[in-house]
Amino acid sequence: MTAPFLNDPAAVSWYEASARKRVVTLLDPGSFLEFIGPEQREMSPHLGIFDLPKQFDDGMIVGHGTLRSEKIFVAAQEGRFMGGAFGEVHGAKLTGLLRAALKADIQTVLILFDTGGVRLQEANAGELAIAEIMRALLEARAAGIRVVGLVGGRAGCYGGGGLISGCCSALVVSEQGRISVSGPEVIETNKGVEEFDSKDRALVWRTMGGKNRRLIGVADAFADDTVGSFRDATLALLEQPGRFDLDTLQAEQTRLEVRLERFGHCADAAEIWTALGIEDASAIPAMAAEDFVAIADRVQEASHDAR
Amino acid sequence: MSKPDWGTERAARGERLAAAGSLAKGKIVDSADVTALLEAVIRPGDRVCLEGDNQKQADLLAVALAGVDRTKVFDLHMVQSGVVLPEHLDVFETGVAKRLDYAYSGPQAARIARMLFGGKIELGAVHTYLELFARYFIDLTPNVALIAAVSADRDGNLYTGPNTEDTPTVVEATAFKSGIVIAQVNAIVDKVPRVDIPGDRVNFIVEAGKPFYVEPLFTRDPGAITEMQILTAMLAIKGIYAEYGVKRLNHGIGFSTAAIELLLPTFAEKLGLKGKIATHWALNPHPTLIPAIESGWVTQIHSFGSEVGMDDYIAARSDVYFTGADGSLRSNRAFCQTAGLYACDMFIGSTLQIDLQGNSSTVTTSRIAGFGGAPNMGSDPRGRRHASAPWLKAGEEADPDSPAALRRGRKLVVQIGETFGDGNVPMFVEHLDALVLAEKLSLDLAPVMIYADDVTHIVTEEGVANLLLCRDKDEREQAVRGVAGYTDVGRGRDAKMVQRLRERGVIRRPEDLGVDPLDADRSLLAAKSIKDLVRWSGGLYAPPSKFRNW
Repeated sequence: MTAPFLNDPAAVSWYEASARKRVVTLLDPGSFLEFIGPEQREMSPHLGIFDLPKQFDDGMIVGHGTLRSEKIFVAAQEGRFMGGAFGEVHGAKLTGLLRAALKADIQTVLILFDTGGVRLQEANAGELAIAEIMRALLEARAAGIRVVGLVGGRAGCYGGGGLISGCCSALVVSEQGRISVSGPEVIETNKGVEEFDSKDRALVWRTMGGKNRRLIGVADAFADDTVGSFRDATLALLEQPGRFDLDTLQAEQTRLEVRLERFGHCADAAEIWTALGIEDASAIPAMAAEDFVAIADRVQEASHDAR
Repeated sequence: MSKPDWGTERAARGERLAAAGSLAKGKIVDSADVTALLEAVIRPGDRVCLEGDNQKQADLLAVALAGVDRTKVFDLHMVQSGVVLPEHLDVFETGVAKRLDYAYSGPQAARIARMLFGGKIELGAVHTYLELFARYFIDLTPNVALIAAVSADRDGNLYTGPNTEDTPTVVEATAFKSGIVIAQVNAIVDKVPRVDIPGDRVNFIVEAGKPFYVEPLFTRDPGAITEMQILTAMLAIKGIYAEYGVKRLNHGIGFSTAAIELLLPTFAEKLGLKGKIATHWALNPHPTLIPAIESGWVTQIHSFGSEVGMDDYIAARSDVYFTGADGSLRSNRAFCQTAGLYACDMFIGSTLQIDLQGNSSTVTTSRIAGFGGAPNMGSDPRGRRHASAPWLKAGEEADPDSPAALRRGRKLVVQIGETFGDGNVPMFVEHLDALVLAEKLSLDLAPVMIYADDVTHIVTEEGVANLLLCRDKDEREQAVRGVAGYTDVGRGRDAKMVQRLRERGVIRRPEDLGVDPLDADRSLLAAKSIKDLVRWSGGLYAPPSKFRNW
């Protein structure tokens, strides 16, 4: 192994990259144009009250560009600003993007999640933003727009972000990505360390991490931790037909009921993997992405494209 | 005149062993009888060494000692490297122990401070490791040593495994001065993999049934290294490692030094420094050094202890590490501290506070973490008599006028950190908290980690201050202020004097060293995550769960 100097955008680590770098390297080169960029200084009206630093883009980047020449909308959360948390401006930018997609002739919206949930300092505005985003997202989907979520950042996709991700048409996740509503510390605080030891990081990733989320069908594609891999996985998902009708939702409801029945008694994700028919479940966490994708594609359940 | 009796200590040992008689089968004592054993062999007022340092812990024996009947065992004088487990302090709450001489108290830093203020502990002194070991042989010799090993045979031969650490030193001082040695072992076996402690120095063995606790203190997650730390690491490599050609060295714990380790195969390799710097080490098996080792940078490493998860990797790299006939690491804290003191040309480490003259301390008013080994590495050994290029160059810078043949060299002692540390607390202060503490506790000495006259360089994101080139107290103060950035200390600088110091090369800014702060990017790190380290090691490094994100 030689020391890597990562200058090739397709080899940029998704986990390491800033939100802006992810967007610029994910889309066709030079195609990204930002709406309400940092130069417009649309900042949080609340953080100042708490003497907290604000950011010119409030940690949310929205805009348009092309992905393999198709014009798309894209939103990206900056996990390094307040853990990517949703506040009033942050949320409004995403709501606005989804509503604008209905009016523009857009077939695809990508959301690059990187969030711990709602910003505590602007909790009410943040919670309202989550509801507005979910409504706007479902209206967009009802109009035939594909909304694909990408999860692989430091903050994961938690709280309201976890709820929004559940409304997406499809999700791409990497090993580093975590998807859940309640975070590990919250579960430990409320249910005790016996229920969930938030300091046992291997347990956290086994439960909420990308590999488990892919295997139990929360995510529809698995990416290695590079922008190039996320791009390939996203393009592959977009080739499948998008559906959003009553039959699809009922099929998804049935799938979730069966999943609960099959795996609800399992004490650890590794038991689920064994039940899915994976011979050596203990090898999953350390497995290279390529080998994992082969296994995941083999054991995955039917995807109903309902999320 | 009656003939003096020169065998009283031996006779006393015989009596203690006899008192334990029925509890032991040969040397083996059941773990249920350990507290009774301690009550039988320990006498009130004894000096007791309960083995524990910043890494391994004789945890079963610590619990047993905390459980003794304090009408039988009381007023003990604890002489031990580490005050780390809660039980180490519980014995002072109950009166089992009264007096304490120690070296390191990281995890118990806040509680030990409270107990010292409350008068629960009669404090002898806070030592460095080597200093405490030295006193084991002069005036703090243990009557009883409670130690930890991986396995024992029925004769009491001990295998201490990769985490040998303090054990040989503690046993040497105790067993050869008529003391009693009690060992907890993970397992009793027919034949130990190698003999680290010969059985005739061990009186009792107790099978714990589970491994003794080891803290992964030297693991730093590359994922948490910041661009600021990378910048300070780049400045250190260019401004000190390359400048002096430092080959023999010790790194303290911290993210800045971890960043240096991860920049060796990338940034430093591009500078053509491979083979010219950082080849011989007194260092624990830092996982962050794996990429440098795998890239052929490192000739050899001697270690104080092992590191959790590194054992298989070490065993597979015996060209680099010291290993026994069984293949596993042999560490030894006393020897490695000595090596760090006398055979290394540089120590570099982080600190919490630096004052205007360069004194540094990790003590804050509510926390007393002790010293561990840093002052041994981070001091200029006056007894050194062998020459090396960096040592001679540093000596010349400090004292250019003396005749070369009569001039002492100088060890490079480098403090590295960000001007604002954790929680945006400034690293530079007018007065150390250690002084406040010394006054509060009526200590003769303030607990200073590295004395100003030992520090040669301070590295921050603002640049490198070379204190060897300062000719008086004022220059020194301005050199410190000159790299203190926007802290109060930094803003109090005399701009003109700092400019003059910069012209003389006492202060070197990033641009003076040809380092562009915008180049300080995480992509320079040879490994960006713990998993990258596992990959570099070819799957041999097995990190503990708390460091995994897969």
